[in-house]
Amino acid sequence: MKRLLIILALAGTASLHSCVDLDITPKNIVTDNDLLNTPAGMDIYLARVYSMMPFEDFKYMGEWGFEYNGWLNSIGIEGTGEAVNRDGITTSFRGERTPYWGRAFETIRDANHIIENLPNYKDAFSEELYNHYLGEAYYIRATVFYTMAKRFGGVPLVTTLIQYPGTAEEMEVPRASEEETWDQVLTDFDQAASLLMPKSPKKGYANKFVALAFKSEAMLYAGSVAKYNQTVSGRLTGLGRKTGVRVIGFADDTWQDASKRYFTEAYKAAREVMKDGGYALYKKKWSATDKEAQYQNMVDMFSDLSSTENIYVKEYINPTSTHAFDAYNLPFTFRAPLSSGTCPTLDFIELFDGFDRYPDGSIRVTTGDNNASGNYIMYDSAADFFKNAEPRLRAYVIFPDDQFRGKQMEIRGGIYTGETPIKPLFSNYSYNSADTRYQNLDIYSKAPKSLYLSPREGNRQEIVDYNGNPMTAAGAEGPFYDNAEATNTGLYLRKWLNPSPNAEPGEGKSSQPFVLMRYAEVLLNAAEAAVELQLAGAATPDGSNLLQVASDAVNEIRERAGATKLTGTITADVTGRNIVRKERRKELAFEHKAKWDIRRWRVNHYEGRDGFWGENRDKNKFSNNENYRFRGIYPFFSTEEGKYFYDARFQWIASKTFGYTPVDYYWEIPGGEVAKSEVIDQQPNR
Amino acid sequence: MKKITWSGLLCLSILISSCSFFEQDNYAAPDVTLEGEVVDVLTGDRVLTDQGSEGIRVRLTELSWGDNVEPNPDFYCMQDGSFRNSKLFAGNYHITVDGPFIPLLRKDASGKELADESLVMDLSGSQKVKFEVQPFLRVEWVGEPTVQNGKVTAKVKVTRAVTPADFKAKVEPMGNYTDDLLQVTDVQFFVSYSSTVGYRARDERWSSELIYAGSTFEPLLGQTITLVSKEEIPEGRTVFVRAAARINFDTPTGTGTRRWNYNQAKEVLIK
Repeated sequence: MKRLLIILALAGTASLHSCVDLDITPKNIVTDNDLLNTPAGMDIYLARVYSMMPFEDFKYMGEWGFEYNGWLNSIGIEGTGEAVNRDGITTSFRGERTPYWGRAFETIRDANHIIENLPNYKDAFSEELYNHYLGEAYYIRATVFYTMAKRFGGVPLVTTLIQYPGTAEEMEVPRASEEETWDQVLTDFDQAASLLMPKSPKKGYANKFVALAFKSEAMLYAGSVAKYNQTVSGRLTGLGRKTGVRVIGFADDTWQDASKRYFTEAYKAAREVMKDGGYALYKKKWSATDKEAQYQNMVDMFSDLSSTENIYVKEYINPTSTHAFDAYNLPFTFRAPLSSGTCPTLDFIELFDGFDRYPDGSIRVTTGDNNASGNYIMYDSAADFFKNAEPRLRAYVIFPDDQFRGKQMEIRGGIYTGETPIKPLFSNYSYNSADTRYQNLDIYSKAPKSLYLSPREGNRQEIVDYNGNPMTAAGAEGPFYDNAEATNTGLYLRKWLNPSPNAEPGEGKSSQPFVLMRYAEVLLNAAEAAVELQLAGAATPDGSNLLQVASDAVNEIRERAGATKLTGTITADVTGRNIVRKERRKELAFEHKAKWDIRRWRVNHYEGRDGFWGENRDKNKFSNNENYRFRGIYPFFSTEEGKYFYDARFQWIASKTFGYTPVDYYWEIPGGEVAKSEVIDQQPNR
Repeated sequence: MKKITWSGLLCLSILISSCSFFEQDNYAAPDVTLEGEVVDVLTGDRVLTDQGSEGIRVRLTELSWGDNVEPNPDFYCMQDGSFRNSKLFAGNYHITVDGPFIPLLRKDASGKELADESLVMDLSGSQKVKFEVQPFLRVEWVGEPTVQNGKVTAKVKVTRAVTPADFKAKVEPMGNYTDDLLQVTDVQFFVSYSSTVGYRARDERWSSELIYAGSTFEPLLGQTITLVSKEEIPEGRTVFVRAAARINFDTPTGTGTRRWNYNQAKEVLIK
């Protein structure tokens, strides 16, 4: 019996052998054969790559970098002056918590994989579609190189598929010079533009004009860096310690040519989009005579997917792909679960038309020569102060007493019960005294008390009797001096927020699209490149009149915005250049653009800070020789007159200061990458 | 039941233990102390500075690790121009300082090393080093500061500590040389409650500055300059004051950080 069993077992084992090699592709592994030979496969391939693209939208935070989640998402708080909020994320754009380095090379590899392997499947597609997919790969690579170049300067230009495993020589790629890197960005965008279809074959895909529009943005960055590095003390250039390559900045004898070349490319690309792209500024509800219509038009344009102005849009879909921008940025009474993450500043609204000014150009709140002298100007309602404000500004920012989601936004800093006329509340409004706040004033803290403020909402509100009726010191929407969850500056953001009163509150409930590239920016790119070319004495690349193109672009944008149009043509000097820069600061606010603009203009460090706002402003008004800060505009109610007055003061709630030095124009290469590689250079000035 | 619990815990503690539980860390604690000072090569006086990243930076690179090494985390001199680090590992180090003086490590525009006056040495035990440098400027008090109406008035004299010819001889080969680099751009008057007064520990309400465009400071070199603090300092307080001046040259080159030469802090009673 036993023996029989052993024999059977042996026979069984022997009969299980076979002579066929197990050389078949496992069915559960997806290969090029499955992905690269049908449009459906390419959809899958590209969708995955796109999900890791470095898009700065509702899922990107300047302080944190590309972490692909929307936690606490706010916009314009990166020391750009557009906005501030209460948290540590309100800080200068001097680096990212998650540096865009390792992940960048993964995406570049995905692009290189298409470029090298798609030719094997050429026959599977029509020629047009085949070219388009190749174009997508170049577009992706250009985007990644561009994203890295504006952060680090020269980066390793990995343009082939590196085989792994391999020897160190095969796998290690040193950083190229900054000029070579920008040239690569240029080549890749050009390749993409020549291959991509003029219209995206599917929603979400790039097309020729997407590539050209981003090319103009990238080349504007490159041209500016080449030119304005020279304005920084020390010229901002240097050679890598390990390789001797000029990893940041441009050589003394090439920067001028490089700058002109890049501005020319920026201009050409933008002009091509203007001429052949078929895009136009969004004017569905616009009317030349009706400011209300102009305002409504600009509110609608950011969520209208059929907008003729949209060139490239990141869409979201409820409930599968959502973000939480509303949840973090709505006014205080809509809090769900947080609020007021983006509080626009007074310095920002000072860029816009429609306010009375002091002789130095700042917004007037008193009858004197500056906001520390004279008496406060009284307004019948808080909204009166803004009644002539540019419609575009109103579409971007919620003013005190304006409507949002069918509700009046009651924003009030406090109540003043003293006699009128009222002298400025503080004796000193200079930068150095910014940390003295309203609650430190004797008229608030000591008897006899004539200023009432609220530390918090609800039953912590101070109550003032006004004509027999109780009135809370602060408005329902704040500001509260002990609770920074309401407005910090007296203003709220309107742009991007869902205006519907029926919107479902909460995180992950928002699905507004983010417009990554729109036609207005292309116009401004053309205008800026044109002025820079004229300034450099370069010839027009296409025979057009540079300054006329610039003036027309600015006027077209101003007309739609309801702003005052130019009286003449833009001139080829710093004044003319600043007109374009300022228009850009205004139009593209809260779109993750300004933080790159002030960087490429090299106006963030102290010596260059006069140009911070795109126009010339005395830096010592908002900065000392180290840090800078921004102001709010706080409405107060006077019980004596029953009227409102405004006080302009440095950020009262959760006061933030920002710092920046020339070293920050090129971010540190992640230390680990430098330490583990024989060829990767750290920035030479670090 | 209890037995199961206990045996379970016993199993768990055996599972999570490992042999290195019972070994001592095999690496000795950093026990090397490096003390140093930065002095003016001509006078032997310490080069005074501010304790912060705008002061004198000390950078150590441990060469024992091979060619591809990154510098240790930087630290900065104390305000009297000396430094001390008592937590270093023994090894071979490249030691350099950057501050308001002619760079020790100089490279030309193509990255070729022109000179390196940094120290390369083995560190063990306790060691003292001295850097003899050529500061850009010398800032000296003239008389004692006076107080009137809560404002401090002080007189200082700023002179060059390195001759323009010397400066040019060493800096010109580094490329992009212009005579503008030598121009004195500003004189700062720092006031603070703290005896560590300087750029970092200044009180912005009172500190003031004088800015000089172009070469306007040139005739004032060696002359007495009067500095007055801003706004009123409360009576009865003791403050510390200090003056500093800098030229239009950033160190290390390319950082855009122009560092100041300081004088000694003085204590002033506001009465």
